[in-house]
Amino acid sequence: MSSTAAAGAIDHHNDPTTSTGIPNKKLLMWAFLASDCMFFGCLISTHLIYRLHPPPGTPPARQVFSIELTSFSTFILLMSSLMMALAVNAIQKGNLKSMRWSLLTTIFFGCIFLGCQVYEFRNFVFEKHLTITNSILGTTFFTLTGTHGLHVLIGVIWLSGMLIYSFTGRLGEKDAIDVEMMGLYWHFVDIVWIVIFTAVYLLEYI
Amino acid sequence: MSAPATPAPSAGHELEKSKFGLYVEIAMLLAVITGLELVTVYLPFMKWLLVSVLVVLSTVKFMFVIFYFMHLRWDKAFCTILFFIGLVLAGGTMFALLKLFGSEASKPLALAEPPAPVYRIVV
Repeated sequence: MSSTAAAGAIDHHNDPTTSTGIPNKKLLMWAFLASDCMFFGCLISTHLIYRLHPPPGTPPARQVFSIELTSFSTFILLMSSLMMALAVNAIQKGNLKSMRWSLLTTIFFGCIFLGCQVYEFRNFVFEKHLTITNSILGTTFFTLTGTHGLHVLIGVIWLSGMLIYSFTGRLGEKDAIDVEMMGLYWHFVDIVWIVIFTAVYLLEYI
Repeated sequence: MSAPATPAPSAGHELEKSKFGLYVEIAMLLAVITGLELVTVYLPFMKWLLVSVLVVLSTVKFMFVIFYFMHLRWDKAFCTILFFIGLVLAGGTMFALLKLFGSEASKPLALAEPPAPVYRIVV
């Protein structure tokens, strides 16, 4: 999988056994993330198009959104990215205990983010009366942020699976690529939110 | 692709050690930029200027995450190229869609006009 240097340290960035010099799993994940970029790009542009020309009856988004809650969610997701990066760093150094704590914190932050999103959706539906069917803003907004939320949920499940797997004793420094691949997915979820936060939420306040 | 150049073990270990502090510093920087974005939307400046500032700030955040947290800075250039192919295609699609549907001609009708009455001549 990974090359071993003279002192026994594993080079986690290169793999001379593959034709590209990149671990195959990492290459697969980057290709997937590139395709996911296009998927989210279309969802974001659909939302922006309908915000450019809101059809009659569309409620003003500024009255619906809560910038405080969204900013808190953004901060939480950024911190979860930090913990994920530390988890990858820990497993690359063979520090399993540190990796477990970092993974646990990442899962915790991911759950907080999901909780905030559920609270936001409930608030929109029951108090602001914005549903996925009653306005075009609701349709594009819930589809976009819901798809992102689904990605976060998949990430949380993946992280939890990896955390449980680490207790079987079969996860070591040589398997760092598996944690790194998961980390790439998690950071991607974070960068998508960085774009959504600006394009969907902040632009409404200008 | 060509075989990679393996860094010296000591240099690699130094890099791994220094990464912890680097990640924390970047996370703090990202939090500060998010705060700046929040302040920006309430500034009494022209809309185009505020939008430009927001785009720049989120691009900086985006780049920090992909190059440091996602290790593109230390990985082979092919990973960066692969990801940027997707990113450019997504950006191009977004630009095209916004240009196409953002134009004046694609504005939805303000209100559906009632159909004109039909008169029939009964003989």
